[in-house]
Amino acid sequence: MPKDLTIKKVMVIGSGPIVIGQAAEFDYAGTQACRALREEGVSVVLVNSNPATIMTDVEVADRVYIEPLTPAFLAKVIERERPDGLVPTLGGQTGLNLATELANRGVLDDYNVRLLGTPLSAIARAEDRERFRKLMREIGEPVPESFIIETDAALRDLSRQSGLPWPLIVRPAYTLGGSGGGIAHTVNELMEIGSRGMRLSPRHQVMIERCLVGWKEVEYEVMRDANDTCITICNMENLDPMGVHTGDSMVVAPSQTLSDKEYQMLRTSSIKIIRALGIEGGCNVQLALDPHSFAYNIIEVNPRLSRSSALASKATGYPIARVAAKIAIGLHLDEIENKVTGKTLACFEPALDYCVVKIPRWPFDKFVSADRRITTQMKATGEVMALDRSFESALMKAVRSCEIGTLSLLYKKASLWSDMEIERLLSVATDERLFAIAEAFRRGLMIEEVHQLSFFDPWFLVKIRNIVRMESRLREGAVIVLTDEGTELLREAKQFGFPDRVIADLTGKTEMAVRARRKSTGIVPVYKMVDTCAAEFESHTPYFYSCYDAETEA
Amino acid sequence: MSDKKKVIVLGSGPIRIGQGIEFDYCTVHCVWALREAGYEAIVQNNNPETVSTDFDTSDRLYFEPLTTEDVLNVLDREEPYHGVIVQFGGQTAINLARPLSDAGVPILGSSADSIDLAEDRERFEKLLRELGIPKPEGRAVTNAEDAVTVAREIGFPCLVRPSYVLGGRAMEIVSGEDELRSYMRYAVDVSPKAPILVDRYIVGKEVEVDCISDGVDCLLPGIMEHIERAGVHSGDSMAVYPPQSLSKVTKDKMVDYATRLARAMNVVGLMNIQFVCEGDEPYIIEVNPRSSRTVPYLSKITGVPMVKVATRCILGQSLKEQGYTPGLYPEQKNPAVKAPVFSFQKLSGVDNTLGPEMKSTGEILGQDSTYPRALYKALVACGFDMPLTGAILVTVADADKAEVLPLIEGFAALGFPIYATGGTAVFLQQSGMPNVQTARKISEGSPNLLDLIHGGTVGLLINTISKDKKIEREGAQIRRASVERGVPCLTSLDTARALLLALSSHPSTGEGFGVRTVDEYLAG
Repeated sequence: MPKDLTIKKVMVIGSGPIVIGQAAEFDYAGTQACRALREEGVSVVLVNSNPATIMTDVEVADRVYIEPLTPAFLAKVIERERPDGLVPTLGGQTGLNLATELANRGVLDDYNVRLLGTPLSAIARAEDRERFRKLMREIGEPVPESFIIETDAALRDLSRQSGLPWPLIVRPAYTLGGSGGGIAHTVNELMEIGSRGMRLSPRHQVMIERCLVGWKEVEYEVMRDANDTCITICNMENLDPMGVHTGDSMVVAPSQTLSDKEYQMLRTSSIKIIRALGIEGGCNVQLALDPHSFAYNIIEVNPRLSRSSALASKATGYPIARVAAKIAIGLHLDEIENKVTGKTLACFEPALDYCVVKIPRWPFDKFVSADRRITTQMKATGEVMALDRSFESALMKAVRSCEIGTLSLLYKKASLWSDMEIERLLSVATDERLFAIAEAFRRGLMIEEVHQLSFFDPWFLVKIRNIVRMESRLREGAVIVLTDEGTELLREAKQFGFPDRVIADLTGKTEMAVRARRKSTGIVPVYKMVDTCAAEFESHTPYFYSCYDAETEA
Repeated sequence: MSDKKKVIVLGSGPIRIGQGIEFDYCTVHCVWALREAGYEAIVQNNNPETVSTDFDTSDRLYFEPLTTEDVLNVLDREEPYHGVIVQFGGQTAINLARPLSDAGVPILGSSADSIDLAEDRERFEKLLRELGIPKPEGRAVTNAEDAVTVAREIGFPCLVRPSYVLGGRAMEIVSGEDELRSYMRYAVDVSPKAPILVDRYIVGKEVEVDCISDGVDCLLPGIMEHIERAGVHSGDSMAVYPPQSLSKVTKDKMVDYATRLARAMNVVGLMNIQFVCEGDEPYIIEVNPRSSRTVPYLSKITGVPMVKVATRCILGQSLKEQGYTPGLYPEQKNPAVKAPVFSFQKLSGVDNTLGPEMKSTGEILGQDSTYPRALYKALVACGFDMPLTGAILVTVADADKAEVLPLIEGFAALGFPIYATGGTAVFLQQSGMPNVQTARKISEGSPNLLDLIHGGTVGLLINTISKDKKIEREGAQIRRASVERGVPCLTSLDTARALLLALSSHPSTGEGFGVRTVDEYLAG
C-alpha cells in the first residue's frame, strides 16, 4: 500500500532525560525516525524535555518543543499544532506511556489525532501481563507460571501458598528497566521485594513468576507491516543466563549456542507473536530456552523500539527506526528501500558474517558504595558494542571499549580474590563476573565447574578460556614473540583481539616495539564492511570494523 | 574515493555518569559542520545507542574501540588525512590527544599541549598568576602533614580532591583538621605521582561559561548561573540562563578572563570555564579546553550553533569571518533553567545527597517568559509533581537552621503542613512557627518519620547532611526511604529556595503555562 497521503503532520514524543533504563538509544531511534518521516514529505512536531539530544535540533524536526513531558503539556502542544497523527513507539516506555495516557484522557480524539503504527490495542495486549498471557495461551505459546499481585494482602496470601515454584522473580508493571524488581528465594524476600515493587509501579502492580534460573535468554527483533509481512532483523543471545536484566547482560549477535532447530523454533514463535499482537512496526521478543530440552518460555514483548532494537540496528546495519516510521505512515516492507545497500528492500532479512558483542557500562566506578549485584533491575548507564570475525576478538574489543581501567581480561583486583570469592563471583552476577571467569580459568578450574556456578553456556566459557590460554602462551613466548619464530604467535594474539599494549605487558616488551614488529611483518588490521547482507549484494554502506583477516573492504 | 580532505572525529564511548549524551550531540554536530564545509567526516566510536554511530551520520563510520592503538590503525587506513578532532568526544577523546600527538598525528583545534596545560595544576596556576586572573588559594600536596599546613594557611573549610580526575571523583569539603586527616588516610591514594589539591572553599555563586575561540578572539554565547552554591558538582546543579544575580562588573570580568585565557592557552574551538563568585569577583575553579555538558543546552537557548561555529574555527575560519562579534553574545529574553535528573531508584547503596561528586544521569530544560515560570517547568520536567501536595518534612544540620527558617515560613505560608525532627522542630517552634509538628526520629520508636514517609504523609523531604555520624546514619535511612517512596528529597537549601520561588509564583495548578517552540522562545 502506498503511504497515507492524509498524514501531513506527525507528532513524535521523545523519551525525556537520560535515566538508567532509558539512555541515548531513543535519541538515535527518534532522530532516525524524524528524518525518515520528513523524507516522505511529512512535517514533524517533536516534543522532548531533554535539551542534550539531537532530535531536539531544528535541523531534525520542523517544530521542536523542549517542554515537560506530562500529559498536560503535551495536550497543549497538540492543541497548538493539530497534528494528523502521533507515533507512540519511538520514545521508549516514557513516550508509550504518555501516548496511552493522552488517548485515555480523550485528548487524541478531541483533536482528531490518529495513533500511527502499532495500534494501542496491540500495545495493551503486549503490556498488560494478564492479557498478554491469555493471548499467548490462545496461540499455544508457553509462558512461565505467574501471578499478578496488586495489594499487600494478596501478596501475603500468595506467600502462604504451598508448592510455589521457588525461586520467584518479581517484576513491577510499567516501570523503566524493570525498576524495583528482584528474585525472591524466601517468603521474607518475596514480601519485601513485592511490596517495594508495587510502590514503584505506576499501576501498583507486580508480576511474580517462576524464575527460570539457568535457562538461556534469547531475543528476536521482529518487524511487521500492515500487510502482515514479517521479518526478523536478527536474534541476540545473552551470555548471562536468565535472572539478569537484558540491559545488564553481555549480549552476542547473532546467537552462538543455538542449534538450527532451536533457532528456527524461536524465530517461528517470535513471528507468530508479532502477528497475534497485530504490531505494525518493530517489536522485541524475549524468550527463555531450556539448555537441556527444546522447552522454551516467552518472557516479554516490547511493542516498541527499545535498547535492543538500537543494538540490533547497529549490529546488522538495518535501520529499524527508519523502517518502523515508514510503516507507521502506511508503507509496506516491500516498498521501503534499504538505504544501507541502496539495492535491497526492507523486506530482506539481514545476514551477518561476523560476531557482535555488547557489554553494559555500569556506574560502580562512581558509586563505590553501591550494591554491585546485577539482577532483574537494570543498573547500567550505557553500553559498548564491538564487531569482529571471532567471538574472542569481539569480546576483547568490547572490554577495552568500556574504559574500566583494563584493556583485556586481566583485571587488577582478580589476583587478590580468594578461591572462595571467585566461587561467589561466579555464582552471583556482578559487573565483575567476566573477569572472575577468566581468573577461574587462570587458576585451573574446568569448564564444567565454571558452568555449574555461572550457568554460562560452555561454548562461551571455552572462548573465554581461549583468551586466558593466549595470555599464558604470550608469557611463555616472551623471548620469541618479536622474532620470526614468534610471528604466528603474534598474529594469533592479534586475531584473538589482544592489544599491542597487553602483548607488550605480557612479554616484557614496549608497546612501540610490538607495534613496529607487527607493522614490519604485515600484521595489520583489515577493515570489513557491515552491509546487512553478508556480501550477497553490492553495498554502499560506509560502516566498518577491523579484523586481522586477509582482505580489506574499506 | 573523493578528493575531499578527510577529518576523523573521535566519539565519547559508552554513556556513563559524567559523560552523557551531550558529547554525542557535539560529535554529530561537528560531523555535520565538517560535511557542510566540504570535508569528508569520519567517525570512530563504539556506542551502539548513539546518533553518531548511525549509518548516514558520517561519510565513514569505524565501529571500533577508542584506544590509541585502535585509532592509529584507522588513521593508517585513512592516510592521507587532514587531522583528528578530539574536543567533542568528552574525556575519552581528550585523553587520546597526548598519545596521538606524540605519534605524530595532527590534532585539529586546541593542541595536546593546550589540553595538558589546563590539567597541569602547576603550569596552569603560573599562567593565571601571569595573567593576573584570580583562583581560590591552595596548593597540591603529597602527604597529610603538608595538607594540614596548607589548610591552616588558607583556613577551613577546604575543598580537597585528587588531581587528574574525571567528573570530581573523591572530592570533598572538609571543615576541620580531623576531617582532613581522615580524608587523606581513607578516601584517596596519595603519592608523589598523584598529588591532592587543597583549596580554599569559597561559599559563593557558581557560574559557568562555554566559549568559542578562534585563537585570537573569543565568543561567549552565554553565562549560566548555578542555583546551588559552590560545592555541588556542576553536573548536579540546576542552572539558569541568563544569570539572575550577577552584576555587570562580574560579567565583564568573566568575559575578560575567558578571552585572555583562551588566547594565552592557544585554545581553538570550545572551552568551558567554571567560576565561583565572592562579591563581584569571579575566581576560576576549573578550565577545560573542550566541549562540555552545557554546550547543547546553551546552543539551543541562545541560538548560537556552538559546535558548528567551533568546528569552523578549528578549520581556520575566524569568528569575525563567520559574522560573530567577539565577547558576550546578546542575552536572550526568555530564561531557561537546566535541572539534573537522577536514577537513585535503580541503585541501592547510593546516597542521594548532592555534593562535589556527580550523581545525575541526565538533564532537562524548562523555558518560559520569567525565571520563576522557567523554574516551575524545569521542576515539572525533572519529575516533581507540581504543585506539590502533602506535608514537608524538615530535618537539617545545626549549621543550616538559621538559613532554613525563612524557607519553611514560606512553605508554611503556602499552606504546606510542616513536620520536623527534634532539634529542627524546637528551633522552628521557638522561631515563631508553633504549628510545626514534631516527628519522632527512627531511634525514638514508632510512629516516626519513616512511617510518615512510607505512609504517604510526606510530599517533600528537606534534609541537609550533618557532621554528626550518628545523626547522619539516620539521615541516610530517611533519604533512602524517600527514594523508595518516590518522595522528592532536597539536600541543598538552594534547591529548596528555588522550589519555593516557583511555587509562590504559581501556587495553583500550573494550568496557566503555555508551550512554545525553540525558535519562538528565541524570537523573544
